[in-house]
Amino acid sequence: MITRKPHIIGKPFPLIEAQKKLTGVSCYAGDESPREGLLHARILFSRRAHARFQLLHIEQARSHPGVTALLTGRDLQARLGTIIEDRELLAVEEVRYAGQPLAIVAAETPEAAVEALALIEVAYEDLPAVFDINDALAPDAPLVHPQVATYRGYERVHAQPNSNLAHHLSFRRGDAAKAMAEAAVVLEQVYTASPLQHAPMETHGGVAQQLDDGSLMLWLHSQAPFLQRQTIAQALHMPPEDVRIRTQCVGGSFGSKVFVSVEGLLAAIARETQGRPVRLHLSREEEFQAIFMTPAMKARVKMGVDENGRIIAMQATYDWNVGASIDAFYLQMQAIVLAGTGPYAIPNVEIHTRAVYTHLLPAAPMRGLSIAQVHWAVEQHVDELAELVDMSPLAFRQWNLVKGGDQLFPHFVMHANGLETCTLETAKAIGWQADAGPDRSGHIARGKGLAMGWSPILVSPNCKSRVSIQCDATDLCTVIVDGVDIGQGYYAFITQLIAFELSFPIEWITVEPTDTANYDPHWQAIYHNLLWSTGRALLQATAELKRQILSYVSEMWEEPMSNLDIVEGDVISYATRRRLSVLELLQRGSDEKARPPVFRAEGIYEAPEPNDELDSLLQSFAATGYAAEVAVNMETGHVAVLQLAGAADVGHAINPEGVKAQLKGGMVQSISLTLLEEMRFQQGVPTTTDFMTYPIATTADMPQKMFPIVVEVPQSTGPYGARDLSNHVVVGASAAIGNAIYRATGVRIRHLPITAQRVYDAFMRHHASQNSS
Amino acid sequence: MKHEIEFIINGQNMQFTVDSNQTLLEVIREELGLTGAKYGCSTGECGACSVLFNGEVVNACMVLAPEAAGAEIITVEGLAEEDELHPLQKSFIDHHGVQCGYCAPGMLISAKALLSRTSRPHEEEIREALVGNLCRCGAYADIIKSIQVASRARR
Repeated sequence: MITRKPHIIGKPFPLIEAQKKLTGVSCYAGDESPREGLLHARILFSRRAHARFQLLHIEQARSHPGVTALLTGRDLQARLGTIIEDRELLAVEEVRYAGQPLAIVAAETPEAAVEALALIEVAYEDLPAVFDINDALAPDAPLVHPQVATYRGYERVHAQPNSNLAHHLSFRRGDAAKAMAEAAVVLEQVYTASPLQHAPMETHGGVAQQLDDGSLMLWLHSQAPFLQRQTIAQALHMPPEDVRIRTQCVGGSFGSKVFVSVEGLLAAIARETQGRPVRLHLSREEEFQAIFMTPAMKARVKMGVDENGRIIAMQATYDWNVGASIDAFYLQMQAIVLAGTGPYAIPNVEIHTRAVYTHLLPAAPMRGLSIAQVHWAVEQHVDELAELVDMSPLAFRQWNLVKGGDQLFPHFVMHANGLETCTLETAKAIGWQADAGPDRSGHIARGKGLAMGWSPILVSPNCKSRVSIQCDATDLCTVIVDGVDIGQGYYAFITQLIAFELSFPIEWITVEPTDTANYDPHWQAIYHNLLWSTGRALLQATAELKRQILSYVSEMWEEPMSNLDIVEGDVISYATRRRLSVLELLQRGSDEKARPPVFRAEGIYEAPEPNDELDSLLQSFAATGYAAEVAVNMETGHVAVLQLAGAADVGHAINPEGVKAQLKGGMVQSISLTLLEEMRFQQGVPTTTDFMTYPIATTADMPQKMFPIVVEVPQSTGPYGARDLSNHVVVGASAAIGNAIYRATGVRIRHLPITAQRVYDAFMRHHASQNSS
Repeated sequence: MKHEIEFIINGQNMQFTVDSNQTLLEVIREELGLTGAKYGCSTGECGACSVLFNGEVVNACMVLAPEAAGAEIITVEGLAEEDELHPLQKSFIDHHGVQCGYCAPGMLISAKALLSRTSRPHEEEIREALVGNLCRCGAYADIIKSIQVASRARR
């Protein structure tokens, strides 16, 4: 009997590609690069935020024993940027943030590199600096980039000449001011969030080597190798075909390994070492002090509600402290405006977002495209409003929710979605309905809170996804892709899809490391929404490959193709019951042909061209829901998350356990971001430089109970109805925890993170104001 | 100062000449080319470089190479036997105990040490055993599950 392979889409699927990570096989940046003649690079970073500077004793450093090459901004004046070139590979005369590279050295040993840099004396002449948004926007504020108008890419940003306003966007619907004036209840509040570090376990770095033909080979842990190739080539004035980037395993990115940071400098020094490979591996302290930060946010949110409990007006401004660079944060601004209302159908809206230059580290978005911070504001605000209009937080949300069919933006109608299901399911999981209200009887107060999330899924502008699959006797089934697995299960998804579409055993399928050499020099790959874009390309490629295989066998067997199929690795005929294993086919082929066959197929997904419309890159919204129960120590301010439920509408869970793994990871990360993490500075110099001063969640911070909930409302355009997830799983969690803390204690914390100190201080202020009134 | 040292790593006897200030992690990665133990923080905070040192979990970045003289060391490369993965490794694959994977070798080493002390650990015990191993992806729940399932399968 011939049976079709059981449906493996939507079933548990093991992480087969994880084997190399678990056995220690070399696959992270630099592990697989040449070791012979390997040199060690080290960077001298600025210790001042804004200063004119001179490097003294350079020649002494250059001639230090073991030093092979040394570059300063005098040797290499190169600007760096993907959207706008508002960074420099090496500072020239003036530093704009502490952590800015001043020099790079390559030496025979790491010690020699350290010694050489120690010989360099940096003579700083401090200049006035600005570190927060308000100061930076003051009329006479010192400018971070007085020459911004001369930078390549300036025309893409909406900057304001002679100010530190780096970029701004707005969205208006209806007449918010008029509706606000007519509202029965109006609430205005300010919510803020501290800057964060992405803090991947693998710090930044890699290996670079100049080849005999003058081209550069880079082994990097890049989330976006094609984007980085273009940026590095542009910075070094090299043709893109002369820069090759290869990426296999990435030890965490969370947004920090998309745009170029120190990799451009690594490439530059490798051109000075006569073909010897150079390795750069930042220390944890350097990672904290010199790599991107996630910008601090200040949100001013005002909403108006009518007599029926409908939110009829919203005015909000989201301001972001992007440090000395908007480059890596530019695309997020669009997402922020699109998500700015939260998942509510509000007829009159005015949303502004501004990115402001300061003398701090360059900004890059954290996982969730900073939409998590937007929801920190909106979803607490909605909770506060619900209380004002005397509705339950759940009912108030349901009453005002965006629905499928709502025309949200000029060219975007909301699709069917799982927003409401996410909220209801998470509420149910933590026992929301049965909740008797907060318990403040002892010194531990307990309470529950909810929040929702919606994240715009934007296509990367001017980018494509292309896959090619080759089947031959030697390598069986080899897949070339232009996306990167950063731990989100991308390779597992590719394997699963091909195994299903071609009915091949998963052992046959090998996904090659991502390598720019497999694509033409100007190729720009999509680096977000990989499930959707690579998935669409894969469906094309597998259909074509199957056609080729069946057509070959059809000719061989002299049977119509419509009789044939591939089942569990065999080509079969439903009519004649003939059966031939694909392995045998690949090894032997047809007797009439000289060589065994090689089948090769390609699939391409092209994103639509962006235009000036705000929603031109908007593909869909990812819905999430969170519910939390917390215990707050009323004496110390310490918060413990007892239960946390997180739900996401993934359209169709192709790998359900993988979805849950992402959700659970997002929950733990969210607890970390909400309660623990905060970057601190002194005169612009980061003082959080290790995991003691910048703690992240450990197993001790996990909630006792976690409920990952998979919601499936199919996305008609996605592969099998699926929608991307891993970026969005953190959206809504912070506000759910914040709302639970309020419910437990009666005290509202409007600054993220909610550290024990902040809770304690809020209690003190609360008691003081109660005593004085 | 140079030291002649000898130790057993993953069952093999090795001899090295090391500097006084060289760490065990540097020897393992740079001299031996074993890339399982990772550089994460170099200050003993993250556990990415965990190895078994005479049966105890240590951060290899905090052990000076000369201290390793005469020791028996097991890294993640020493868990699988021949081509057969260790039950913990299999379980991590089946139960999504890996995301970016950078912390995974350290997690496996801590788990192996735990299972050699306690064959059927409770969730609380596993949490405690892993508290020195940071995972930025937050995959702790599935790591714990992977270890629990492996401990049951061993019997």
